Amino acid sequence: MLVLTFAVSGAGNCVEVGGAPFVYARTTLGSFVLPARCSHRGGPLHLARVEPGRARLICPWHEQATSVKRLARTGIPAVRRGEVVTAVFADATPDNWSTGHLPLSPDLDGTSVSV
Amino acid sequence: MNFSPVYQPFELSAEQLREAALHFASNPLYLDNEEWENDDNPYRRQLRPQVLQHLDFTKKLSRSEILNYESLAAQRLLTTIYESDLMFLPQSGFGEKYEDFKRFYSSTNRALGEMIRPALERHSFGFLDDEVEVTGKWTRASLEAFLRDLENEQPQPSLAETAIEKSSDPARAARMWLIQFIPDFMSEASPMIRNVMGHYGPVQSDWFKVIIDEYGYGVHDTKHSTLFENTLSSVGLRTDLHHYWQYYLSSSMLLSNYFHYLGKNHELLFRYLGALYYTETTLVDFCRRAANLLTSVFGEEADVTYFTEHVHIDTHHGRMALEKLILPIVDACGEAVIPEIVRGFEEFKVLAQVNDEDFAAQIEWMDGGPTNKALHEPVWEGIQQGRVTAPIADLIEPRGELSNTHCHNGDELCHIVSGTMKFVAGFNSHQILEAGQGTVIRKNRLHGAIIESEECVYQIHSVGDYRACLS
Ligand code: FES
Ligand SMILES: [Fe+2]
Repeated sequence: MLVLTFAVSGAGNCVEVGGAPFVYARTTLGSFVLPARCSHRGGPLHLARVEPGRARLICPWHEQATSVKRLARTGIPAVRRGEVVTAVFADATPDNWSTGHLPLSPDLDGTSVSV
Repeated sequence: MNFSPVYQPFELSAEQLREAALHFASNPLYLDNEEWENDDNPYRRQLRPQVLQHLDFTKKLSRSEILNYESLAAQRLLTTIYESDLMFLPQSGFGEKYEDFKRFYSSTNRALGEMIRPALERHSFGFLDDEVEVTGKWTRASLEAFLRDLENEQPQPSLAETAIEKSSDPARAARMWLIQFIPDFMSEASPMIRNVMGHYGPVQSDWFKVIIDEYGYGVHDTKHSTLFENTLSSVGLRTDLHHYWQYYLSSSMLLSNYFHYLGKNHELLFRYLGALYYTETTLVDFCRRAANLLTSVFGEEADVTYFTEHVHIDTHHGRMALEKLILPIVDACGEAVIPEIVRGFEEFKVLAQVNDEDFAAQIEWMDGGPTNKALHEPVWEGIQQGRVTAPIADLIEPRGELSNTHCHNGDELCHIVSGTMKFVAGFNSHQILEAGQGTVIRKNRLHGAIIESEECVYQIHSVGDYRACLS
């Protein structure tokens, strides 16, 4: 178990755990910890758009769809407080992680979320 | 038998809410006081009913609005409503206060309070819906890892503690600080007791043990509120409940009311547990620092047993909250309740942060009295030159007229036309303002005033941001 706290946006908004990068995505359909690399060929899922009218993220490389509901309900357990997020990575060890930055698409960066 | 009733949740319209809030607060117990402090009367609380009709409690306040006057008004109302569930008696007998006692605990007072409570709670705590968001699939194991991670956090002195240390008057700042704890510490564990009524298995009994500790094992001298009273007395503060009502910051009440809110609304039980774990775990280090701080400010005469006692007991309570309450309740109720536990934990952090910033800003405001008074001249100059056109209120008040404490949602300039005003910026903190003088009143800062001449004519210019008046 590895508990990590990182930024929702800007510098440090990406954690790399065991070689896999994650970001926190805020969409109109819910928020979730998002694997930044697509499971198909490693495309930039952090730049994915939400398919209009459907609760799916579309990978910019080969348009593989990922269910937003699945990410929110069965994804990595996390909580956002203001501008920071704390996530619990079940299979990670304390020595194998780092933080960095990845840009987010306008559908994922919270700007579309009305407050 | 064709009758199928339609269930409608209880909700008041904006107009009904305004009327009901005014109705509740018009109780003679809640009218303005002619003194700064209440005198051994736990039922008297100044709610400023005259202003309530201008406030809209139907909207949720946002994080950036949470220190506005609406919040102060709502927290004063909520404190009063929640506390009508608790028993308070005056220290020196009833006399005429028996009537106040009956009024405070009357069904009419309680029913009126209950009518407005849900809307006030939404208004004041609703911003937490936006501030905290839980996602993903939580398990018992990930919850435990998440909660235990708090032990790895390096505790830092709060902004409040630093503000006291750096204050131009640390003793005054520290007294103001102790005053802020009164709503919480005087009836310590009372919100928690709301959770141990009923019948729900072993967790109920374990929770009861925490309460027994707080209540000093039934020995009055060791009850935590008694220890806190000793702290207050040792630094020259009064211990009659809400003596210092007018000096509570809205965020201090926000924090203590949060637990009443969770305890009163039983559907929020799991949030309570998360928040409880956070406070019990972090209180140890807080109390250690508080004891040191009070001793450094007041010397050895400060009785800090309240705080040193918590260092011993709460190490134990943090662990107990996790192992005897939280994990067993997850086992009993299922993992679906975990997001609520996590949410309570994080919500309390948000509120603690709000309170910390508010208190530090208030000490800066109190210490800045002479500066704010000196700022009158250039700001007044700017207004004269028409650099800003601000709404003006012209006021004439007689000797002894006391503006009970409040705050504004923007900066204001107070300008004395004639007479003398004692302008109060917090406990033991004031400036005397004579004709031609005045003061800048900063946004969201608690203040009040009393007239010290036969008559005082003054103006309030609602400038919004005082800096706009400076050249
Ligand atoms: S890499 Fe994402 S769809 Fe191919
Ligand atoms: Fe004022």
